Amino acid sequence: MTWVLVLIIIFAYLFFILFLGSWAGRGRESSIVEYIAASRSLGFVIMYFLMGGAIFSAFAYLGGPGWAYSKGGAAFYILGYCALGLVPWWLWAPRALRAGQRFQYVTQAQLFSDRFQSKALSVIIAVVSVLAFIQYITLQMKGCAYVFEVASEGRIPFWAGALIAYLVVLIYVFYAGLRGVAWTNVFQGAFMVVTAWVLGLYLTYHLYGGPSEMFRQIAQANPTHLLVGPGTKMSFAAFASALLVSVLGFSMWPHLFMKAYTAKSERVLKQTIVLYPTFAIFLVPVLFIGFAGIMQVKPDELGAPDRILPWMFSHMQFHPIAVGLVLAAALAAAMSTQDTITHAAGSIFAQDFVEVLKKEKHSDREATLWVRISVVCFGAVSYMVAIFGGQTLVALLLGAYGSIVQLLPLAAATFFWPRATKAGAICGILAGVLYNYAIVLKIIPKFWDIHAGIQGLVLNFIVLIVVSLLTRPMDRVHVRKFVTL
Amino acid sequence: MSSEHEKDGYGITLFRPGTPHNAKIRGIVFFIIFCIITVVQSCYWLFANTVRPFVLGMPFGMFFIVLFITVEFAVLVILYFLESENMEEKGDV
Repeated sequence: MTWVLVLIIIFAYLFFILFLGSWAGRGRESSIVEYIAASRSLGFVIMYFLMGGAIFSAFAYLGGPGWAYSKGGAAFYILGYCALGLVPWWLWAPRALRAGQRFQYVTQAQLFSDRFQSKALSVIIAVVSVLAFIQYITLQMKGCAYVFEVASEGRIPFWAGALIAYLVVLIYVFYAGLRGVAWTNVFQGAFMVVTAWVLGLYLTYHLYGGPSEMFRQIAQANPTHLLVGPGTKMSFAAFASALLVSVLGFSMWPHLFMKAYTAKSERVLKQTIVLYPTFAIFLVPVLFIGFAGIMQVKPDELGAPDRILPWMFSHMQFHPIAVGLVLAAALAAAMSTQDTITHAAGSIFAQDFVEVLKKEKHSDREATLWVRISVVCFGAVSYMVAIFGGQTLVALLLGAYGSIVQLLPLAAATFFWPRATKAGAICGILAGVLYNYAIVLKIIPKFWDIHAGIQGLVLNFIVLIVVSLLTRPMDRVHVRKFVTL
Repeated sequence: MSSEHEKDGYGITLFRPGTPHNAKIRGIVFFIIFCIITVVQSCYWLFANTVRPFVLGMPFGMFFIVLFITVEFAVLVILYFLESENMEEKGDV
């Protein structure tokens, strides 16, 4: 029975990752700076894969081909934004790194709440972050569930598929903290990229004799599929604003922003940013997989478009070992994002919510235990949401971006505008987040098909500036510490 | 000597005080270049919303985007080497 062999490969892979991730944590002391920031010691290769794993998520690996299959040209925005996503980090990361070294920060909210002297801000950021994380991680869990469903030919139910890979992640994150995340990401990153190229190019050549012929057939069957704008699946305004909000918001994701604290030097950060567009190039054959599926299966038969990648090669009569490896790579994509997010969610909830609200400070060991507990709680809550929620993968992620991009004015104000005040910061982020949700929940109409997050962001900046200018400036020596980093 | 808007210490401060003039110009120039690249990527459809010609196997729109990704990469490499001398190594706080 081929599906049995496929599952054996997948489970063997999961055991390997569990071992690798857990082994990374052996012999490390239990401290906040070690658990959350790997003692500020990471070098370029690890940073590159740690940050790259964020792109090669279930979004890019399953949702991307899903969009290529169902929406065609609209999927191109993924390439553009993945290449540009870390460029804004060039502005934030070196400054955050120095701030972390000087003032001992390990999370993003610690930087902003220190600058604006506000515990309330820390709590707001923690809540916004964790909610956005839940949206992001349910996406990954759904991706894993699809993989298991396809691998087992429907025998493994959705709830079990979502759980299995995530349990592996929870165990090594709980035990090994960021080191577990880092080591597994290096392996999973390389594995995913190689698999993407092999599979994408193989399918394109095997089924069509090459990409040109494949696209020629697609264009013939559906002349507007490879375009955007009127008459296609994505308007000009939606494309442009989706790309823009993704580029502005990418480096503001707390789990990525806080990686600035983990690097051993500014040079490592900049090397990572320079090499980052390679991950966008690595995505090209992944999109080919989605395009290759258009002439192979009808949408009604496929069901959710995000299943196109697992569907494609489970129906390609590949040897079960190959099928198992490719599906394992899809799991790798999801897990390499789940671990970073879960680790960050636990860290943020414990440090920026629990610690902030407690009267007496925990000891370092206690604080680290609280992070571990938060990791597990976050996992449980997200899992519940994954099982009982429902939207296609990419649409889910675009919604989450709208909340996260509201953190951008805080970064700009912290590093460049000493006149920004606590009131301005709090009012700005609340205005932006609430406005974004009002649009997403359809309480307010969406103007001209422009992404809700962008609209919230504009309001956010306006409120930040106006309220800051109307309130008393903060202590000059204090605020100048942040612009002289 | 402090310029007018930096006098009270609360003005917009784009660069660390003491940054050489060349470095400031470089920072602003590259910032503008990346803004342009971002606009081109988000509005690629103004220039390349067509299927043909196929280049490197890809429909022209996709090729255009990939082309600009390589342009962006080249710009990043240049910026990295220009800033390279001033980068802090481990231990600088």
